[in-house]
Amino acid sequence: MTFAASMLAHSLTLAPGGGGDAAHASLADAPIVAATADPSLAWMGWVLALPAISAVLCALCAAFRVKNKLPAICTVLALGSAFALVLKLYLARGPGAAPVTVHLWDWMNFGWGGGPWKSFQADVSLYIDSLTLLWMLFVTGLGTLIALYASEYMEAERGPGYARFFFGVSVFLLAMSALVMADNLVLLYFGWEGVGLASYLLIGFYYRKPSAVAAAKKAFIMNRVGDLGLAVGIWLIWVNYGTVEFGALFQAFDDAARGVGGWDRSLIPFCLMLGAFGKSAQLPLFTWLPDAMEGPTPVSALIHAATMVTAGVYLIARMQPLFSLHPDAMATVGWIGALTALLAATIGMAQYDIKRVFAYSTISQLGYMFMGLGVGTAFGAAYHVFTHAFFKALLFLTAGAVMHGFAGQLDLRHLSGLRRVPGFRIVSWTMLIGCLWLSAFPYSAGFFSKDLILVQAMSSPRFQMLGWIGLGTAALTAYYTFRVWFRVCAGPVAYAPGDEDHGHDDPAHDAHGHAAHGDDAHGHDDHGGAFHPHAPRLAINSVLLLICAGAILAGVPGIQALRGEQNWVQEMVSNSSAVRAAGVDHVTEPVAFGMDPHKLVTVFGTGACLGGIAIALWIHLLDRRMADRLRTALLSNGLTRWLPTSMENKWYVDELYHALFRLPAWVTSHLLHFFDRHFIDGLLVNGLGRVPVAMGRLFQPLYNGALQGYAGTMAGGLVLVLAWVAWKWLGATGGAA
Amino acid sequence: MTPLLAQAGLTQGVTVALVLSAALFTIGLIGFLVRRNMILMFLCTELMLQAASIAFIAFGRMREDTGGQTFVIFILTVAAAEAALALGLVVLLYRRRETLSAEAWQELHE
Amino acid sequence: MSPTPTFMNAPLMPWYIAAAIGAAGLLMVLRPGRAAMRRAGAVIGLAGFGLLLAESLKLAGPADQSISTPFMMAFAAVGVIGAVRVVTHPRPVFAAIYFILTVLAAAATFLVLDAEFLAFALIIVYAGAILITYLFVLMLAHQSPEDEIGHIGAEDYDRVPREPFVAVLLGFFLLASLGSAIERGPELARENAAAATARLAERKAEAAKSMPRLTVALPEGSNPSDAVSNVQMVGLDLVAKYPASLELAGVVLLMAMFGAVVLARRQIELGEDERRKAAGMGGMVLDVPEHERGGA
Repeated sequence: MTFAASMLAHSLTLAPGGGGDAAHASLADAPIVAATADPSLAWMGWVLALPAISAVLCALCAAFRVKNKLPAICTVLALGSAFALVLKLYLARGPGAAPVTVHLWDWMNFGWGGGPWKSFQADVSLYIDSLTLLWMLFVTGLGTLIALYASEYMEAERGPGYARFFFGVSVFLLAMSALVMADNLVLLYFGWEGVGLASYLLIGFYYRKPSAVAAAKKAFIMNRVGDLGLAVGIWLIWVNYGTVEFGALFQAFDDAARGVGGWDRSLIPFCLMLGAFGKSAQLPLFTWLPDAMEGPTPVSALIHAATMVTAGVYLIARMQPLFSLHPDAMATVGWIGALTALLAATIGMAQYDIKRVFAYSTISQLGYMFMGLGVGTAFGAAYHVFTHAFFKALLFLTAGAVMHGFAGQLDLRHLSGLRRVPGFRIVSWTMLIGCLWLSAFPYSAGFFSKDLILVQAMSSPRFQMLGWIGLGTAALTAYYTFRVWFRVCAGPVAYAPGDEDHGHDDPAHDAHGHAAHGDDAHGHDDHGGAFHPHAPRLAINSVLLLICAGAILAGVPGIQALRGEQNWVQEMVSNSSAVRAAGVDHVTEPVAFGMDPHKLVTVFGTGACLGGIAIALWIHLLDRRMADRLRTALLSNGLTRWLPTSMENKWYVDELYHALFRLPAWVTSHLLHFFDRHFIDGLLVNGLGRVPVAMGRLFQPLYNGALQGYAGTMAGGLVLVLAWVAWKWLGATGGAA
Repeated sequence: MTPLLAQAGLTQGVTVALVLSAALFTIGLIGFLVRRNMILMFLCTELMLQAASIAFIAFGRMREDTGGQTFVIFILTVAAAEAALALGLVVLLYRRRETLSAEAWQELHE
Repeated sequence: MSPTPTFMNAPLMPWYIAAAIGAAGLLMVLRPGRAAMRRAGAVIGLAGFGLLLAESLKLAGPADQSISTPFMMAFAAVGVIGAVRVVTHPRPVFAAIYFILTVLAAAATFLVLDAEFLAFALIIVYAGAILITYLFVLMLAHQSPEDEIGHIGAEDYDRVPREPFVAVLLGFFLLASLGSAIERGPELARENAAAATARLAERKAEAAKSMPRLTVALPEGSNPSDAVSNVQMVGLDLVAKYPASLELAGVVLLMAMFGAVVLARRQIELGEDERRKAAGMGGMVLDVPEHERGGA
């Protein structure tokens, strides 16, 4: 709450600043303010240290088999303190301060001459500018709130599993903080891998469930593909620019803008992009994110919706000076983002699992963010990250509350009218807020942030197509979002419990112990209506309300931007390395239908949102059988059958990857196995081993114990040597003369 | 044949000595291989040592170098030492098996 | 001379043939069988050896007045005959005595080759000491069995040679190779004649230089190598050039003496191993402590 209030305070106290046009007229070559070292901020190291301490304490709790909520308390306190520290720094600095670096300790520091290419310095140092602070504020803030939520949500796991969960969360916060605050690419990579590890550990939290283990492996391996790109990119950056520290790097980029780069220099942004697409689940590498929903819901909310998946956006925003040198790379980012947004939205329309719908919407919204980066509004992208973090976390947490209350039930066909179920009122209404924000309802935070991106796309003739794709996706988004809400929260009350034992944690059943819950759930299934939903209690409800408030307040900067005022987020982005793409080029000429981009997006965006909601209202609330009839009609027509089938099967991307990568890899591995077994092992290893054995068999008769036999062998050898010498050496020399 | 050979000293007498040496060595080797009596096998090795001695003397004569003769002294030394030890061993072996046949000890290879 | 010597067109072809004839003769002598056959083998073998000698004379340079070639050939023939009898005689004692004959022949060649000291040392040490030891041991260890009518015969293992064909074949190859070496050696020497001559002169000068260091008094104007007798030369060479080897030879002899004493101290009952086997106590036990040995 304090976070949102402070944000509001800052945004209100800011002066209008002369309007956007003047401020951003010369953004293309705006100087990046050089960072200054500030040792007095060494206490920021605690932001890293607190999650680490919390992780150690959680590990100790697991080791000592602590059965109470101690791990949760440790984690919430540590993350809350970290958030307080970040907030303190933010309040001390304000949004417009120059970047500073804080050297904590040496990590890698080699020099063989000094200067670029003659030294390699990657220390544990912090690079703190406004972009860092923007990310850190919502990462630590949402981390604290979601940890608080999880303290109730995960209580069925109390014991080592509970400690393991909060250990994972602490490790994630440590790695994410390192990623965001790093002052060099190597520390950023460390954090990048660390969040990947935490993600893997938490997706596979229910490690007895094969699907969870498979999902964890899938996420980890797909991220490896992206991380390879990032690693190669970092290497190429060092090779081309001679340093990996941001401060020196931004100067080097400015110098490089005047020079001509080699082919590998133009490869760098594509390598970084690959890393970003892997982490942020964009088009070639997005299939891991829906499967990652196997993890506990707080993890889905924190890692796979609000924070970790935005690391790719952060990376590109941070390296904006590099990307602005490569227009092709920017265009690629934009196109990939737009296509991902559209594809994920179409898949989301046909899913029945609430969390999966939200997962595809996350991919879709991340696509918007990349589109924003690509069309040149890092401000819009960062703002969308910010608003999305709130409303998507909110949606996941409400889905988690439903799952918690209905024994793991997440199928929207088996849930209805939750709004009237006792105890689920807060969940329903906060979910409505989240849905409105996600579908970019006018004057919601999501509306403003999406608006910024689409206006920027519309403003430039190159990217106008992206704008139209974005608008179409917005309609799809509104439809599938409200499909969920109308199905689950509205309509007549009807529900069936799920078959999972976790989440179904009625205090009345505590005496039976954890193991009995699964049987209980089945028993409820058998007896039909005997199931009592387990309503969320204080922690979950309060967290939902807090995040909801944050989501509402996140719209304030959007209103300011609408009025053309200088606003908080924009100033933060402008005071960072993303300054080159921080502004909106206000085009006032009409671009289509006689409207300027702003008006165009406002009108069409509103229309798309309302249209989507209206269709959802009609076929999912007023006439629910209509949806099934529509599906049957599409399926019965040979020309349109492909549409619902491929949407329900996620456009067969998984199957395509299976055929393209997994199957050839499987075949190759078996071929190699065969080769290894019969050629390497059989012929080379064992075959070579058999040669001495065979020779031994051949010469074994010589070893008969008869002295003369040995003497004869020896004499034979002697004669051979002598004959060779006489024939070859003496003879050849004689012949040469 | 040529004066050069005379300079190298390979005269007829030396050549005959070398051929004798080669023949004795060969016969000694054949003897070592065909005789079964352990003492006679050692005797055949002495024969080969003889052949080596003759070769040394002949080459020393050819090069007018006393080194050949000096080495024969060492050969005699080694032969004497070998004879003393070998015969002592043969006596021990004979007392165990009451035979001088080398084949009586074939199982030693196991 | 052929540019690339092959087996068939080698200048050594007669040598190979002579070696083959000698080998065939030796093989006939070795095979136990009719006496006539063995006598024929002896004749063939001697003929082969004679051919070898004749071939070697063709290879050699001119006769040296200081070495009597006929004497050499005669002693060589005696030595080879003795050696063949050593290898073929069925009775070990006679074989040893034939070995003495070979040693005497070798000593005679030493005399012809101007190695007087070594000739007598050979007779004294070999024939006088080593061979007598062999004879002692043979007679000590070996009671030749008598047949029904009281003739002293030979043990089977002395009568029957072991794999004579393989051994003779091996010997033939050895002799052929040695022949190549003997034949090729001078050719090499001729090719490097200048270097060889220089080296020879150098050695002679060196010898002349080292001599006065140890010879106290030499007649004025005399060539050291002429003036010094063979015994003196060998003695000087031994002490001046190879003192360390001399010491080592002494150590070898000392160690051999120790070894002989240690071996002689081991008391083993006659036929002990056989009896142990019969008692079911396993075969040869070479390292049984004193107290256990008593129990056997």
